[in-house]
Amino acid sequence: MEEARVRMKTDEYIVEMKNITKRFPGVVANDDVSISIKKGEVFAILGENGAGKSTLMSMLFGMYEPDAGEIFVRGEKVKIDSPNEAVRLDIGMVHQHFKLVENYTVSESIVLGIEPIKHLLGVIPYVDIKSANKAVQELSQRYGLEIEPTKKIEDLQVYARQRVEILKMLYREAEILIFDEPTAVLTPQEIDYLLGIIEKLRESGKTIILITHKLEEIKRVADRCAILNRGKLVDVLDVETTSTAEMARLMVGRDVLMEVDKPKAQFGEEVLIVENLFVEDMNHFAVVKDVSFSVRRGEIFAIAGVSGNGQVEVADAISGMLPIKSGKVSLNGRDITDLPVKERTDAGISYIPEDRQSMGLILDLSLAENLVLKSYHDAPYSRGEILNKDAFLQHAKEMIEAYDIRSGGGATGMVRQMSGGNQQKAIVGREIELGSDLMIFVQPTRGLDIGAITGIRERMIEQRAAGKAILLISLELDEIMAMADTIGVMYSGEMQKITSADDITSEEVGEYMMGVKHA
Amino acid sequence: MPDSNRRGNPLLRFFGNQRWQFITIPLVAILMSLITASIIVLILGKNPLTTFQSLLQGSGFIPKPNYANFKNVFTDFVDTVDAVTPMIFASLAVAVAFHAGLFNIGVSGQMLLSGFVATIVVGYSPLPAVLAKPLVIIIGIIVGALVGGLIGFLKYRFNINEVVAAIMLNYIIQYTISFFINTRYVDPVSRQSRVISSASRLTLLNVPYGDIRMRIPIAFVIAILLAIFLWFFFAKMKPGFEMKMVGLNQVASRYAGVRIGKTLIMAMMISGALAGLAGVSYYLGFFSSIQPNVLTSVGFDAIAVSLLGNSHPIGVIFSSWLITALSRGGTYMSSMVGIRYEIAALIVGLILLFSAMSQFIRQRINALISRSDRR
Repeated sequence: MEEARVRMKTDEYIVEMKNITKRFPGVVANDDVSISIKKGEVFAILGENGAGKSTLMSMLFGMYEPDAGEIFVRGEKVKIDSPNEAVRLDIGMVHQHFKLVENYTVSESIVLGIEPIKHLLGVIPYVDIKSANKAVQELSQRYGLEIEPTKKIEDLQVYARQRVEILKMLYREAEILIFDEPTAVLTPQEIDYLLGIIEKLRESGKTIILITHKLEEIKRVADRCAILNRGKLVDVLDVETTSTAEMARLMVGRDVLMEVDKPKAQFGEEVLIVENLFVEDMNHFAVVKDVSFSVRRGEIFAIAGVSGNGQVEVADAISGMLPIKSGKVSLNGRDITDLPVKERTDAGISYIPEDRQSMGLILDLSLAENLVLKSYHDAPYSRGEILNKDAFLQHAKEMIEAYDIRSGGGATGMVRQMSGGNQQKAIVGREIELGSDLMIFVQPTRGLDIGAITGIRERMIEQRAAGKAILLISLELDEIMAMADTIGVMYSGEMQKITSADDITSEEVGEYMMGVKHA
Repeated sequence: MPDSNRRGNPLLRFFGNQRWQFITIPLVAILMSLITASIIVLILGKNPLTTFQSLLQGSGFIPKPNYANFKNVFTDFVDTVDAVTPMIFASLAVAVAFHAGLFNIGVSGQMLLSGFVATIVVGYSPLPAVLAKPLVIIIGIIVGALVGGLIGFLKYRFNINEVVAAIMLNYIIQYTISFFINTRYVDPVSRQSRVISSASRLTLLNVPYGDIRMRIPIAFVIAILLAIFLWFFFAKMKPGFEMKMVGLNQVASRYAGVRIGKTLIMAMMISGALAGLAGVSYYLGFFSSIQPNVLTSVGFDAIAVSLLGNSHPIGVIFSSWLITALSRGGTYMSSMVGIRYEIAALIVGLILLFSAMSQFIRQRINALISRSDRR
């Protein structure tokens, strides 16, 4: 492997991005970033959530255009205004969220857009799916990306879908391959395999750009690594000569999250009791298996786990968004297992969902309307069947003040126009104002800037001090360790371990998250 | 986008102001269709201005040079009011469904069924007018609401797409009713259903006023009042707010505690009830009998009319008016200008086509503005 690294590295730059700046309403996603990538190397882009990694690469792939700066590919200045243009320049990208047609077969998905065409009787064109299947088969064998060309996408697991995306790039003979957080959705074994593939791709002369926030992956496959922090390029490092600790320090930057001041916990009686919870997804696949836990007043119970291990479904089942297959959920001693959403909210559940844009808010309604999304039926927001819009606005004004929500259009502005951080502040504010006994926070700080993160964490501590029971679900181990009084770790739909936060190290939590350590 | 008003050319600035786009965009659609129609009229070798003038004369908006006995510009106008009434109801029906994110393409079928039930229950009865007229309206509401509610229920309970359910119900209603009219209620001369009693008809005929005789469409008042109520309903009332929520985002609505099924069914029931009112004001008002084997185009035109009116209850009044007036002026135009009646239908078709493109027009305008902003 070392040999390969040396052999393939040349000093010729295949991609140069110079002084790139990209702004979104309210944020500078990339601020004067310059990187140069050599042909045949694995170039990692490291940074925290929201550091601007994906934005930078989306510009290379033609999904956004930079507000300022220049891009050179193979020494030539280019204007990449669409993904098609990027593909023409032999650039391919595997997105974090795959873009595949569910009911197409593997090879149909791969050849889509550049199908091999044959002509029936020399005139009527048709897609030569046989030769497509063959080509896909060959391609998959060459790179060790085993896959059945005739299988439908909907029948494939996540890792296999990712292979389809990789094959799609290779079929288009892409030379520059961008991977956007490719391991976020994979199990440890699958990660291992994927990193092997990436090494193999480099050996065959491809240039690879790897977007990630996982240091071990970089250490294992990358040659060089650019570190972004809050939109700015911090440094470009040689991976071999840099320690992971050094990378971590640079990634988090000077403004390491301030430790929120967390007084000693005062536990009260149990608010939420979950017993033997089973939940199925739409395909009747068990996603939560026999989970039991309880959350007390004044306690932050945090569920840790790699994305997609059933944590979100636990929250959805408690809040009533997903039906409970079996088991029992009780709140303040009352069985709420079969109650509809509204009655659960009234019984005392606040829920800050993972998907703030499609579940937590109605983007095309105003901020004022979104702030009363759960309370418009009650006084003073309505009397009988009539809404009191003045009360909506009055409430919005108070909330904007209290929670520092910034909306360009003010209380009557569409939530769609607001930045992600302010959208989240609106949700958090609304849910806290419900004053529920149980507050569920799912990924409450994802993608937010340091200030907003600290603000939301302080709110959580505040509510804990006020005697609320808090269920925190987060993919960020740091967040779990910083906030939790009690930690539960989920893996593959099961609760692996429940313990006091004082009795476990983050390394151990990590092991339980990977399913390596069994309770 | 908020800064877009400072620069760019004045026309763009006018149409780009998002606060007023609900009215300016339909105006663009109308303008574009009138220009296109003018070109066609010019190609036919006629004067577009006299053509449009005669259209307006024919529908009673401006006076004709001369009138028959008992007629003047006002009677023409009231005739148009009579014709516009079902269109307003039907377009409101479509608009209500739109607000809840549903597409009620079954308005014509709902109209036919409620018109038919009201015809056989009240229209052929000897009931006096004071009982018959309210009863016709109530039957229209109930029958329409039941059909609409059925579509909503099928969607909620069995996840049957409301468009498919509505189209199938259209066929079922059309052929079932044709069967009954042809076998039991047919008038052997007109080949339509027998004419209803004048006591049950929602349009009063030949009401003397000075030296003219005119029609008075009673249901028109109800249509206007309902439009105003629906405006209030969506702007200020809880169920209206919930329908809007569900129409915009079902997941978030469920998260907020809205009962999706109840809301969908209720929206379809209201939509159906309005379609039912369209039905009775059409078959027992504007007409007094039902032609078998035919589904009226009112329910389908209403989709485009609703779009032209931005699905706003008050906007719908104006767009219904425009479309109906144009189609009614066609006969007079054809005799005056000497171009075929179909040209009027063509202009209506163009307006509907351009109004269906209103979303596209809006996007183009906003894209043009953001481009000129960037420069």
